[in-house]
Amino acid sequence: MNKKNLLFTMLVFIFAIGTLVGCSGGEETSGGSDQELNNENMKPEDFKGELDIWTFFGGVEGMAKSFEEKYPNVTVNVEVFPGDQYQTKLMTAIQSRTDVPDIFDLERSYMGRFINQEFVANLSEMGKIEDRVENYVPYVKSLGEGKDGNVKAVSDHSSPGAFWYHRDLAKKYLGTDDPEKVSEMVSSWDKVIELGQKVYEESGGKVHLLSHYGDVFNVEKQHQEKWIQNGKLVIDPAWKDIFMDMKQIREKNVDAKLPYFSGGWGDALNEGGVIMFAMPAWGGFMVNNDGGQAKGKYGLAKTPSGYYEGGTFRAIYEGSDNKELAYEFIRYISGEEWQTKNLEETGNMPALKSVYEKKLDTYTHEFFGDQKILKQYYELVQDIPPHEAGEDQNAISTLFYDAASAAIDNGESYEQALERFKKLVSNGYPELEIE
Amino acid sequence: MFSRRIDKSPYGYLFIAPFFLVFFIFDLGPILYSFYLSFTDWSGFNTPTFIGLANYERLLQDTLFFKSIYNTLIIWILSIIPQLTIALTLALILHEKFIRGKHLFHAIFYFPNMVTPVTMGVLFALMFDWQNGSMNKLLMALGIVEDPVYWFNSPFLSQLIVASILMWQWFGFNMLVFLAGLQSIPEDLYEAAEIDGANKFQTAIKITLPLLRPVLIFTMITSVIGGMQIFDQPLMIGKGPENSTLTMVMHLYEAAFVRYEYGYGAAIAYGIFVLIAIATAFSMWMTKLKEKKEG
Repeated sequence: MNKKNLLFTMLVFIFAIGTLVGCSGGEETSGGSDQELNNENMKPEDFKGELDIWTFFGGVEGMAKSFEEKYPNVTVNVEVFPGDQYQTKLMTAIQSRTDVPDIFDLERSYMGRFINQEFVANLSEMGKIEDRVENYVPYVKSLGEGKDGNVKAVSDHSSPGAFWYHRDLAKKYLGTDDPEKVSEMVSSWDKVIELGQKVYEESGGKVHLLSHYGDVFNVEKQHQEKWIQNGKLVIDPAWKDIFMDMKQIREKNVDAKLPYFSGGWGDALNEGGVIMFAMPAWGGFMVNNDGGQAKGKYGLAKTPSGYYEGGTFRAIYEGSDNKELAYEFIRYISGEEWQTKNLEETGNMPALKSVYEKKLDTYTHEFFGDQKILKQYYELVQDIPPHEAGEDQNAISTLFYDAASAAIDNGESYEQALERFKKLVSNGYPELEIE
Repeated sequence: MFSRRIDKSPYGYLFIAPFFLVFFIFDLGPILYSFYLSFTDWSGFNTPTFIGLANYERLLQDTLFFKSIYNTLIIWILSIIPQLTIALTLALILHEKFIRGKHLFHAIFYFPNMVTPVTMGVLFALMFDWQNGSMNKLLMALGIVEDPVYWFNSPFLSQLIVASILMWQWFGFNMLVFLAGLQSIPEDLYEAAEIDGANKFQTAIKITLPLLRPVLIFTMITSVIGGMQIFDQPLMIGKGPENSTLTMVMHLYEAAFVRYEYGYGAAIAYGIFVLIAIATAFSMWMTKLKEKKEG
C-alpha cells in the first residue's frame, strides 16, 4: 500500500470511528440502591439541583412551577413531546441510555409495557411512598404497581368519568335537571334505553339522549375479567350484555350516531342535540367557555357503573443520578398540598381519597354551577375495580369494540361479532390460545 | 493526446466519502439492522432474541397482511387511473399555445400537493363524516339522498375516498412532470404534422404520446413505488370497515409501533420490499416488452 492510499484509508477510518463514537451512548450511571432515601426529614430548602422531566402533557409545566416555588433551590426542566411520538422518543432514549430524563410520564394505555422493566426505579424501596398511595383511590394505586406489587409509577390524579348533561335539555325532556334525580333515571342501561326512546319520540327525532353507543363500552370496559389468562383468550360473558345494550341503543334511536371525540360530538357537547355524554373529568377542554358561556350549563350525573378514562403516571429512571430529588418530586405530587391545588386550578380530580373527602361539600366547578361534583365522582371512582396496568388489556378491548361496532353497524348478531373479534385477536396475537 | 493510464488519484474518493459514510451509517446500517431484526423477537425493551424464520412463517399465514396487499392494490388502481388521465389531459390542454395564464393554472393544480397528507386525511374524514360531513349535507340539500350516507361503513366507498385523496394530491404533480416532457418534444415535428394536414387529435396520438413515453414510464414506476407505500392518508381515515383501508405500511406501523413487535414489523417491511421490487421489475419489464415489439 503506498503512502497516499494509507493516508486515505486512515482518514476514512478516523472519520467512520468518529461518527460511530458519536452514536454510542454513555454508560448507564448508578444502579438501583436498596437504601431508603431519607427525604421525609428534609426541608424543601435542603433540596438542590436540576431535575429533567419528559412528558406528553403540557400541564406538567404548571406542576413543575409549583414545585419550584416550594423548593427554591431546585430547577425543573420540563420537555413536552405532544402526540404519539412521545413513546417512541422515550423508548429510543432508554434503549441508547442517552439523555434519559430523571422522571418520565407514562400514559395509561401503554404504561403496562413500561413499569415492569428494569429501567424503572422501584419507588417502594426509595421511601415511604406506599403509605401515601395507601390512601389513594384503589384503581389509581393498583395501576402504578408492578407485577411484584412494588410501587413503580405514581399519578397525581384520578380520571373518573360521568354523564355530563345539558341542563336545559334535561329540564325539557327529562323533566328535571337535578343531578340526583337524573342519576337515578340513568342508573342502568335498561333505564337509559327506555328513557332514550322517550326522548327521541318526544323531540320528533331531533334530540337524542346519548351521543353514541360507544358510551356503554367506555363505561363498562373495566368491569370484566382480564382478556388474557395463562396464555388463553378469556371472553367474559358480561361482554354479551354490553354488546346487546350497544345494539339496542343504536336500533332504538337512543344515540345520535356521533362517535366519542368526533367533530359532531364536540358540536353536540357545546350546542345541544344530545342530552348527555359519558366523559372523563379532564374532558373540560372540549367545552367552549369563551366569555363564560359554559357557566352552569351542565349537570353531572352518575353513570350505571364507575369508570375512568386515561391517566398520566410518573416514573423515575433507574439510571438517574438524581434519584433523591426525583423521588422528592414524586412525593410532592402525591401529597394533599399539590393535589388540592391541582383540583382547584385545573379541575383535575385528585388521587388521594383524603382530598376528595375534604373537598366533598365545598368544591364546585364553573361548568356545573353550584353542584358539588366531587360527590358523584367520589362514588363512581370507588366503584372502579382495581386492576394492574397489563400489557395488552387495553389493546384487546379496543379490538373487541372494533368488532362489536362493525357488527352493530351491519346489523349482525353477538356471535358474528365474536367471530370478527377472534379473527382480529388471532392476527395480532398469534401466540394466544383462542377457543 | 490521451495518457495510457487513467489517473486514479485517491483524492476523488475523499470527496465522495461523506456521502457514502452518511449512506452507510444512516441508510444501509438501519436497512441491514432491520433485516437482522426480522429474524428476532424484540419488544424494544428486552434484547432481541434470534428466532430464525418464525416471523416470516407468521407473515405467510397472516391473513391481514394479504388483505392489506389487496387493499393497497385496489386503492392504488382506483387512484392511479383517474390521476394519470386527468394529469395527462390537463398537461395536453395547458401545453396549447392559446391558453392564457398557464402559470397560474400550473400553480393552482399543483397546490394540493403542497398540503401535508395528514391534513388531507383529516379534511376528507370530516367531509365524509356520516352525520356532520359537508358531503352528506350537500347531497341532502340537493335532494339526491334522503338519509345521510354512511360512507365509512362500506369497504368499497372507504377505499374510493382514500383513493380520491391520493388522486387529488398527486394529479398536479404528475401534470407538471408531463408538461416538462411535452416541452422537450421538438416543435418542428408538430409543424411538419400540421403541414401534412394532421388534426390536434392525430398529433396527440401519433406524436405526443409516443415521444412522451419515457416520462410516462418514469411516472408509472414512481407511482408504483409511491402507491405501495400509502400510509398517512388512510391512517387518518382509520382502518375502515372490514379493515378495508388498512394498507401494507399501516399494517407494518400497527405491528411495530402500536404492538411494539419490532421483529415482526421488520419482517413485514421486508415483505413489502419484496413486493415493491417485484412490482417495479414488472412495470419495467412491461415497458421494455413494448419497446422490443415496436423496435
